[in-house]
Amino acid sequence: MNIAFCSTGCDLNSSVDERFGRTTNFLIYKTETGETTCIENRARTAKGGAGALAVQQLVDNNVSVIIAPEVGPQAMDALKKFNITAYNQQGASTVKEALDLWKEEKLSLIEEPGNKGLHKA
Amino acid sequence: MKITILSGKGGTGKTTVSNNLAVLVKESFLIDCDVEEPNSHIFMAPEITEEEEIRTGYPVVDEDKCIHCRKCADFCHYNAIIAGAAATMPLKDLCHDCGGCQLVCPAGAISYEKKGIGTIFSGTSRFGSRFLYGQLYTGELSGVKIINRLNEKMSHSDLVLVDSPPGTSCSTVAALEGSDYAVIVTEPTPFGVSDMKMVVEMLKEMNIPFSVVVNKAGLGDNEVYEYCSEENLTITGEIPFERIVAEAYASGKLAVEISEEHKSLYRNLWLNIQKEAERSHES
Repeated sequence: MNIAFCSTGCDLNSSVDERFGRTTNFLIYKTETGETTCIENRARTAKGGAGALAVQQLVDNNVSVIIAPEVGPQAMDALKKFNITAYNQQGASTVKEALDLWKEEKLSLIEEPGNKGLHKA
Repeated sequence: MKITILSGKGGTGKTTVSNNLAVLVKESFLIDCDVEEPNSHIFMAPEITEEEEIRTGYPVVDEDKCIHCRKCADFCHYNAIIAGAAATMPLKDLCHDCGGCQLVCPAGAISYEKKGIGTIFSGTSRFGSRFLYGQLYTGELSGVKIINRLNEKMSHSDLVLVDSPPGTSCSTVAALEGSDYAVIVTEPTPFGVSDMKMVVEMLKEMNIPFSVVVNKAGLGDNEVYEYCSEENLTITGEIPFERIVAEAYASGKLAVEISEEHKSLYRNLWLNIQKEAERSHES
């Protein structure tokens, strides 16, 4: 199973990024082998629809779980549609810490979209 | 004749200039194209006789027909479709209604449905002149469709004054479409000048003759005057910053309603604009 992290760098010691749609990278961790792959986030510089393009990259990389700071309303709908579960990274400062917390089942699910991004007021 | 009143940034006085002129120029027809934030209607207090909802299309995917080839998502420049092996999901709020995804879909799985994005109101202002404005619904991304429809509603025989959206966005370009002349309203501050420069570039690019009106004159510094002289831009008028005008504005009244002096200020401005507009079309 592939887990993606919003990451500022390309290894497990990198800090978690404080953004989802415009995160620097998605660091993908394969649970079976412990391998990581670093995806440079194409949505980072998107004019609009960054959340949607971020989800598209997760879909393209067969990600089942995303660990993120928060998720906007459009992306939330899309994550549900593609069966990608989102967990809140809060409390973790590095990807490694977030991964350990996830393994210990200490991360909470993101069930409601954050207040940022494109949304109907 | 279509004269568009625009500015580099919001709050410089487009509404002030366009509305005061609209009251003075009896045969004119005011259109508020600042559909994200229209406010001319506050001053015009129109009696609305007609409303039209503007609609836009968005894609709907028939999952039974979809073969998950992802061509639609690859095609969409606005990231309005997410496609994977298991599903294809359009995001209607991101769609710009270009119809491209429907064209590239080899399975015929995409159709378009319509939703409202805003309303156009037409009527007669409290001064007895024709007045039109558009209002984009909250949360909608682009007012271009509404502005295009507003453009369709004016004929070339009308003397139209357009209150444009600020800046150099798609909406501003749409409001400028078909303009014979433009008036940039600026204020004599560093922000006013800096934002105005982009508007000057845009108008040159679009080949629309224009002049400059300095609003809130007396505030700020001389940069705007220096810039206009360096670039050979004509200043057709200066509107002094006055507390009495600001107070009237805050209560929904226009400068031309205050006194004869204010009326003659705008009358002179109009004469200058007319003269410049004619001159630019002769040369």
